[in-house]
Amino acid sequence: MHRLIYMLMGVLVVLLSTTQASWLDLGRVVVKQETTELGGVRVVIEYELAEGKATTAHPAYVFVRYSSDEGETWSLLLPECLRGNGFALVDKPGQKQIFFWGATETQSVDPKQLKFHVRALRIARIPAGRFEPRAVPGNGCDTSRIHEPVTTVPEFYLADTETTVAMYTDYLNETGTNGLGYNTRMARPDRCGIVQEGEPGNYKYTVTPGRENYPVTYVSWYDAMSFAAWCGLRLPVEAEWEKAYRGGTYLDGDQSKQIPNPIPDRQYPWGDEAPNADGIFRCNFDGQEDGFSHTSPVGHFTKFNSPYGVCDLAGNVAEWTLDWYSTTHHAGLDGFRILRGGSWMAPPEACDAITAATALPIKESSIMGFRLAK
Amino acid sequence: MSSWDRRQFLKASCGTAAAWSALSARKVRGANEKIIVGCMGLGGRGTYLAEAFAHRDDVEIAYLCDTDKRRFARAREAVEETQDRSPKLTQDFRQILDDKNVDVLINATPDHWHGLGTILACQAGKDVYVEKPMSHNLWEGRQMIEAARKYKRIVQVGTQSRSGPYMAQAREVIRSGKLGDVHIVRVFNMMQHPMQRIGPDQPEPDGLAYDMWCGPAAKLPYNPSRRWLNFFEYSCGPIPGDAVHQYDLARFLMGDPAYPKSVSGRSAIEALKDGRDCPDTQFALFEYDDFTLLFEGALWTPYMKKIPGSIRDSDQFPDWPFCSTKIEVCGTKGFLWIGRHGGGWQMVDSDSRIVQSIYGRQADKEHQQNFIDCIRSRKPANADVEQGHYSTLPFHLANIMGRMDNAPLLFDGKTETITNLPEANRYLRRTYRKPWIVPKQV
Repeated sequence: MHRLIYMLMGVLVVLLSTTQASWLDLGRVVVKQETTELGGVRVVIEYELAEGKATTAHPAYVFVRYSSDEGETWSLLLPECLRGNGFALVDKPGQKQIFFWGATETQSVDPKQLKFHVRALRIARIPAGRFEPRAVPGNGCDTSRIHEPVTTVPEFYLADTETTVAMYTDYLNETGTNGLGYNTRMARPDRCGIVQEGEPGNYKYTVTPGRENYPVTYVSWYDAMSFAAWCGLRLPVEAEWEKAYRGGTYLDGDQSKQIPNPIPDRQYPWGDEAPNADGIFRCNFDGQEDGFSHTSPVGHFTKFNSPYGVCDLAGNVAEWTLDWYSTTHHAGLDGFRILRGGSWMAPPEACDAITAATALPIKESSIMGFRLAK
Repeated sequence: MSSWDRRQFLKASCGTAAAWSALSARKVRGANEKIIVGCMGLGGRGTYLAEAFAHRDDVEIAYLCDTDKRRFARAREAVEETQDRSPKLTQDFRQILDDKNVDVLINATPDHWHGLGTILACQAGKDVYVEKPMSHNLWEGRQMIEAARKYKRIVQVGTQSRSGPYMAQAREVIRSGKLGDVHIVRVFNMMQHPMQRIGPDQPEPDGLAYDMWCGPAAKLPYNPSRRWLNFFEYSCGPIPGDAVHQYDLARFLMGDPAYPKSVSGRSAIEALKDGRDCPDTQFALFEYDDFTLLFEGALWTPYMKKIPGSIRDSDQFPDWPFCSTKIEVCGTKGFLWIGRHGGGWQMVDSDSRIVQSIYGRQADKEHQQNFIDCIRSRKPANADVEQGHYSTLPFHLANIMGRMDNAPLLFDGKTETITNLPEANRYLRRTYRKPWIVPKQV
């Protein structure tokens, strides 16, 4: 097949990118190199985005990483370096192309040695506009902050699901050969499920079978930040997180104002019913009655998504945000960060829209994970 | 102090120990037996203590307790990561007290629960690790001592720097006379706190046992933006709550004198006029038998900095002029800068030269070890409840001074009463809300 493409198109197939479980499946990705008359070597990455994989409300976020040293080290191809219709936010299915002219600038002696990884995830569009923040101090742990609630946030995007064990393992295999970003507790099969093998400098990581689609845990805030940067994304700020949870005053945003939020001050992503009301379990909280004694696979509770179709904002794992926490005693000193959303170990009421938790950014916990934002 | 009186020093140091020698433990855990602990209060400090004690091989955390169920997960996760058995979760600390298998109550609640929580634990036969400031009011502190003594309990106060080896060295330097006669000790607590903005009252949230949270204090309408630390109803103030660390060290350095004879100065709300009733400024002069202690506390001094973590646990010193939590010991021959929580100390001679420098380290682990050791040995802990009382008492007096229009107060240690202004004595004891009343006979 590789050769067929080579013969037909007169170009060199460099590598077929691999896709990992939990990333959005892009199908067959073909990477080619072409020599152009004026621009030097042009890399063309092609894939077919299947119907249903991307919409305006839930585009695919596609990013490309490359290696010029036989896979020893990898770097993100910044969107500014790319052209085409198949990178960053892709909101329509169909044939996609990504063009990259910088192959000769990658320090590779031979551009043919370049390797590419193309990955994608589903990410929800949260339109710009007002919302009703309710994260008042005291309802979580933060009883001290002078709370200046953010009531309007610009358009942003938030991943449909929490970052998974498979995604993080993929990341580790690219960046963690020296063990960075990994800690041995991640091997616990009931709470995470990433196994490290080999020697320092040559570590390999595998997912405990069956754990691919569970949220990654035992990640510090720094780990989460590194992973996000690796993707070209970031963590959400607290106001963004809460808006994604409750929905804006208008679900289509303040520009059009056609779809009022029926419950703008909702307690939970699905409304005001308690997570276990009427014997229906709407998210993964403390205990086994919801079907899970520890974490649950991401996307398990899709019937109880937020108004923007974001899953598991309530429960499963508490999610790191970008926001600082400060107390009157420790202002600016200890650097606590805020987590939102409750967890599989939290009582149902702690999975609500207003409860915040705090932790030092070095903290690695089985109840803490993260979700990406753009 | 005209000269350092070695006999007095030894007397002060050993007095508590002597009193303890008569005590015998009702229950002494064997060296290989795990000490069973219940934790009451799961805020930042309580969660830290639960995790820290759970890390010990000789301790099992059997209970985690908070009036707010939302606080359970973080502490529970930390404990479960370090021990095999899951702790029981409860919103009512009496469940811990009722469990005969529990040896220890860790009390890391807000100030208004320190006293009664400790006294009830002592009555239930538990040893106690209580966070600072150990009492909400002066009378309550004495009742805590009475309870600890009556029921022969170990009560350690969470003023951990007292257990730091570098502090013992500093104390020895003072005792040896290298500074000459020490007449003045200055204690600082110069912080920056934000204004609180009190919003409307709110419905009590699901998962919070608010009545239990209020406990001995008045049950005011639920309002999370009204920060408890800033109100006498729940607190003895944000300045005392932090400064008691340094004050405790200053007393330790000076041989643990019990009572000041008087307090004068000014306690007031100068900058943070945001509805609070606890002072944001406290300048107090405490007269001891042998020296004068000057205390300077404020919540509006951003140029003063707490000792950062990077210095606390390394071979560095704080920037002394702008160190917000320093102690200065002024002798006739020399001078000491001392930093709490691992800040170390430096000695200056009469030519203003630094002649000795000792780095410090945080002493949490030493303090916890001391507590465990004392549970087994039944010897008094480093920060025994009586020492905690003598370190908290001056702040209660400074608060009362402020509530009495900053009238100077004379204090009689024998009766623990104010002698020159009898009406001020009404502030020695709070009004307790039923059923959470500290008994007169513990």
